[in-house]
Amino acid sequence: MQQTLEKILPHVQKPSRYTGGEWNAIIKEWHNIDVKIAFAFPDVYEVGMSHLGLQILYHVVNSRRDALMERVFAPWMDMEGMLRKHRMPLFSLESRRPLADFDIVAFTLQYEMTFTNVLNMLDMAGLPLRSAGRNKNHPLIIAGGPSAFNPEPLADFVDAFVIGEGEEVLGDIIDLYKTTGYLSREDLLEKLATIQGVYVPSLYRIQYGTDGSVTSFAAVSGAPEKVVKRVLSDFDRAPFPSNPVVPYMGVVHDRIMLEVLRGCTRGCRFCQAGVIYRPVREKSPDTLARQAVELVQNTGYDEISLTSLSTTDYTRIRPLVTELLNQLEHKGVGISLPSLRVDAFSVDLAKEVQRVRRSSLTFAPEAGSQRMRDVINKGVTEENLLDAVTASFGAGWHAVKLYFMIGLPGELEEDLDGIAELAIKVLQAGLQCRVAKGRLKVTVSASSFVPKSHTAFQWEPQNTLGELKRKQFYLKEKLKKEKKIAFNWHDPETSFLEAVLARGDRRLGDVLETAWRLGARFDGWSECFNYDLWHRAFRENSIDPGEYAYRRFNYEDVLPWDHIDAGVDKKYLIWEHKRAMAGVLTPDCRAGRCPGCGLCPALEIKPELPGGDDYAPLQNPLQ
Amino acid sequence: MPRYRIRYSKKGPARFISHLDLLRTFERAIRRAGLPVAFSQGFNPHPKFSFGAPLPVGVPGENEYMDIELAEEMPPGDIVKSLGGALPGGLDLEAVFQVPDNSPAIMSLIDRAGYTVRLDFNEPIDAGLFERCMSDLLALPELQVTRTNKEGRKKTHDIRPGIFKLEGVVYGDVAVLEMEIKTGSAGNIRPEEVIRELTGIGNLPVAEYGIHITRNVLYAPGGRSLDE
Repeated sequence: MQQTLEKILPHVQKPSRYTGGEWNAIIKEWHNIDVKIAFAFPDVYEVGMSHLGLQILYHVVNSRRDALMERVFAPWMDMEGMLRKHRMPLFSLESRRPLADFDIVAFTLQYEMTFTNVLNMLDMAGLPLRSAGRNKNHPLIIAGGPSAFNPEPLADFVDAFVIGEGEEVLGDIIDLYKTTGYLSREDLLEKLATIQGVYVPSLYRIQYGTDGSVTSFAAVSGAPEKVVKRVLSDFDRAPFPSNPVVPYMGVVHDRIMLEVLRGCTRGCRFCQAGVIYRPVREKSPDTLARQAVELVQNTGYDEISLTSLSTTDYTRIRPLVTELLNQLEHKGVGISLPSLRVDAFSVDLAKEVQRVRRSSLTFAPEAGSQRMRDVINKGVTEENLLDAVTASFGAGWHAVKLYFMIGLPGELEEDLDGIAELAIKVLQAGLQCRVAKGRLKVTVSASSFVPKSHTAFQWEPQNTLGELKRKQFYLKEKLKKEKKIAFNWHDPETSFLEAVLARGDRRLGDVLETAWRLGARFDGWSECFNYDLWHRAFRENSIDPGEYAYRRFNYEDVLPWDHIDAGVDKKYLIWEHKRAMAGVLTPDCRAGRCPGCGLCPALEIKPELPGGDDYAPLQNPLQ
Repeated sequence: MPRYRIRYSKKGPARFISHLDLLRTFERAIRRAGLPVAFSQGFNPHPKFSFGAPLPVGVPGENEYMDIELAEEMPPGDIVKSLGGALPGGLDLEAVFQVPDNSPAIMSLIDRAGYTVRLDFNEPIDAGLFERCMSDLLALPELQVTRTNKEGRKKTHDIRPGIFKLEGVVYGDVAVLEMEIKTGSAGNIRPEEVIRELTGIGNLPVAEYGIHITRNVLYAPGGRSLDE
């Protein structure tokens, strides 16, 4: 295998994707290890190596003496062709062993559009695709990550899903596997289902009605009725890699990723991450300063990105930035903020920290009218945005990017007009700030709303493909006479399929397999995505995808993912949905008043804001 | 600022590092090693080091060169120790020596390169035929090859004056070639060009993926060593 690999590597694009051997990669003595895990990332190396979760779990598992974790990524299509031509199984980067040699193969599901790559990687590993076709002689196939919060479309292929944060539960799985690896696959799965946060789909009998809701549901063999997500408490002391793997090749996020907080309580009603990563937990400034220095020493990177869902919300962000700059600036190390809140404070902060000035700043007002921003609970006003862009132009940036969503629930023509009007006001702010006319640029990016499980909008239908296309065209026409405004939009077919899978159920397993057999790969890549294949796959299985994307669920319906418990009370989501329809804002629970999402009492956890004011959540007003 | 010349090898997984990624890899290794590297002036300062002739992706190099400027003098042995310990798998320091501060850039000194090439054929090759191919090629007064530039325009070049040495031995269906050819900013010949012409003369059946190139060494004009 080694020899064949050496022969084919010079003939594929970017061979560094497949060589391994990077700085800080860990190769253990294979035969001395009890439990061998392959971390499988169903996208290319450059994307997977930009994923902090991989680095964290790699560190967590390899810190144990009895376990190892190696990495494998989805081979790009040229490499897939080579591997299949030479009958080489998919292999891990570290020890270059076939995936079938591992005890556990652990996929991360970051995005629904990677699902066909999961199937493809199983197939390239020479493993039976379906869980039912595998036994104790095959690796246990597990999967986690945000898209595991509605795991149903992959239920036939994955033996067990991990719901929630992986740092601790993976250890529980290793401990269990060590003592029960000799059991039959069925017996092992029953034992796994007793671990909190582990969902074994084969232990659930589910039937669906024609409207897509669940008509009958039964957990068997003692599996819990609801699988409750795992969440770390004492986040400040959570394991964090000070020796992350440093790729040879340029990757998407080619810098230190220092996670300053986890979770976000702003409560945007479309946002799944805002629910599944609750509660907000910050690391202390001391911990962050120590980790930053170690990371620079151990990686040699010259940039630290302060990552989280909303970094400018970190309670002591300004003192943190000042401290990090004091410690690291003389070493030529810069700091970057991956996303900016829509306000002047964030722009000032960006101006202070960004040593290497990027050409543009990005803001996400998400919706064009105040009415619609209130519907989604964005909590941003036009004044906030104009302050932010005025501060940006004043500080020397001459280009800004604005992110919007179209197709939000209850969207009217005037909400679309609002997007165009806001873009023009931003442009005018640039002119008023005397930005050179040749360099001034406003980029408007419109993605299509995708209803996601566990959000206040989970019951909402997606706009039809026709509506989305019409809205895109409407905006394009409205903005086309403004030469300094560039308008981008996302492929609506991709958003449509994303909605189908995001709210899908087990009946989609056959569609996924058919689409994969027809050649669907890398569906998240616009150059690879081929909607025709999917269209055929739906037709061959007599499934109308529109029924998934366009269905409106009722509050009383049992939803296909209702047995997955993200900690936020369904009654709260209903309350939030009603407030959305009434255009009423719900404040951030950090601001002091607990709106009662129910997560803290249910998971026996509290927001952690070390260095901030002490925090006492109120009781759930719905109970 | 004191200048050091570093001779290193790039093999194993590291042979697939592209030239651009190699810059990044060394920059990070230098920072991990804590070398007191000198920085360029300007808005976006970067560490001062420069490479000799880039290696094609996938071709291992036994003796490659780079120059690095430090802010203070350091015994070369200390550089070997600190930087050598900070390099990822496949990159190894072979030697470090100080060069005069004002010596010309390493890139401008490189004039030729020595390669070992293993050729796999689909069938055993007659040794006499292979010998003849080599002597016929060397006997040519000129050897025009066609190259396509970035804009897609084709241009011919005479590579014969840049072939300084070409020797080889056949072992059944494998041949091992040693060649020295022109390399550097003043003109460059790719070893594949020589191989294509050579195997073309005798119509030799090279196997798929059958060309294995290693760059052994880089020379200054006249074949002089760069280790000075």
